Amino acid sequence: MQNKQHLAATLTGMAAIGVFVALLCTAPVTAQTEHSAAVFTADGKLKMPTGFRRWVFVGAPTTPNALNNGKANFPEFHHVYVEAQNLDAYMKTGVFPEGTVFIKELTRVLNPTFPDGSRFEPSGRGFFNGEFNGIDATVKDSKRFAKTNGWGFFTFGHHPQPYEATAKESPVEECAGCHIANVAKTDMTWVQFYPILHARTANWDTPEAK
Amino acid sequence: MNIKWIALIGAVLAIATVAFSQSSAPTGPQFTKEGNLVLPSGFREWVFIGGPITPNALNNGKADFPEFHDVYIERENLRYYQQHGNFPEGTVMVKELVLTQPGKYPDGSIDSASGRGYFPGALQGLDVMVKDSKRFGDTNDWGFFTFGHHALPYEPTAKVMSVGQCAYCHIAHVAKTDMVWVQYYPLLHTQLH
Repeated sequence: MQNKQHLAATLTGMAAIGVFVALLCTAPVTAQTEHSAAVFTADGKLKMPTGFRRWVFVGAPTTPNALNNGKANFPEFHHVYVEAQNLDAYMKTGVFPEGTVFIKELTRVLNPTFPDGSRFEPSGRGFFNGEFNGIDATVKDSKRFAKTNGWGFFTFGHHPQPYEATAKESPVEECAGCHIANVAKTDMTWVQFYPILHARTANWDTPEAK
Repeated sequence: MNIKWIALIGAVLAIATVAFSQSSAPTGPQFTKEGNLVLPSGFREWVFIGGPITPNALNNGKADFPEFHDVYIERENLRYYQQHGNFPEGTVMVKELVLTQPGKYPDGSIDSASGRGYFPGALQGLDVMVKDSKRFGDTNDWGFFTFGHHALPYEPTAKVMSVGQCAYCHIAHVAKTDMVWVQYYPLLHTQLH
């Protein structure tokens, strides 16, 4: 009987130590190592990143189809996400670290009623998020993508879910060409469209109070 | 090592582990003694659920909410909603307002390399709603707050808005979906696992 109690106490204690040590080990390590959300297949395709809706949202340019001859390049809201640790690095250095992944998730606008694609809702006339409609990703890897300023560009489809599970690098003329022509000086990123990127404050997660 | 010691250390560490893991629980709203809401912090690390946009140029130069409405919620509360269809007590939703970049066309849009449309410009305000059935029982359990519709910096605290300013519109239109415009947020109206 006493042996059983001793055994239970020992096992409970050891299990708790194990959980504690595991927590101590995993929490700081993921923040400090050169973790990257980019995972490639053996033939160099990018696997669709997971969990990005928990990353930091930095902005949502909107190019309604109705303002782009019915066929916007990116239909239609562009929700852009990046991981907090990469944002922290950018705020300090002005460039993104190796392994940084940006995700651009596309959603349609909700049922347009005006020729410009907008509709009335109680909050006013404008554009409201409709269905998910695609995923694009950029990955910073200066060895793999040296020819395109250190960034590779991928699309997992511009259409409703489900998306492609993997994507091969898009040709230069489809994506990188435009980034090189317009935003080569800001690490290939349109920082002018993302308020917390062009403000570059260390405490980017909270707005300034009086 | 003495077995009692192992058990004791284990128990202490177990308690520490619980305390440690609670740091990821929702922070919940913070109120002052007078009942004013303290400006939420860290919400740009919460889950973004959608960004309706009501350009000033399409609303006689003065949209009620200028102009992008970027809405954030904590992950645990989002997960609860996806399981239960309503939000738990203490849920905080933050709506951060962002102006569009100055428009070239009468509708307020501009041309960019990616096409004609609307692009985020300056930060322009912060609104918050808090679910607390005791405090806000008169307005379907939610209280509404604004920390300013203007450039930074914002007010550090805000008192609850009158029914006629915020709650009435939510009561009139979205009382059945826990006072939230779930139809504008794909993560709230899409069935996900």
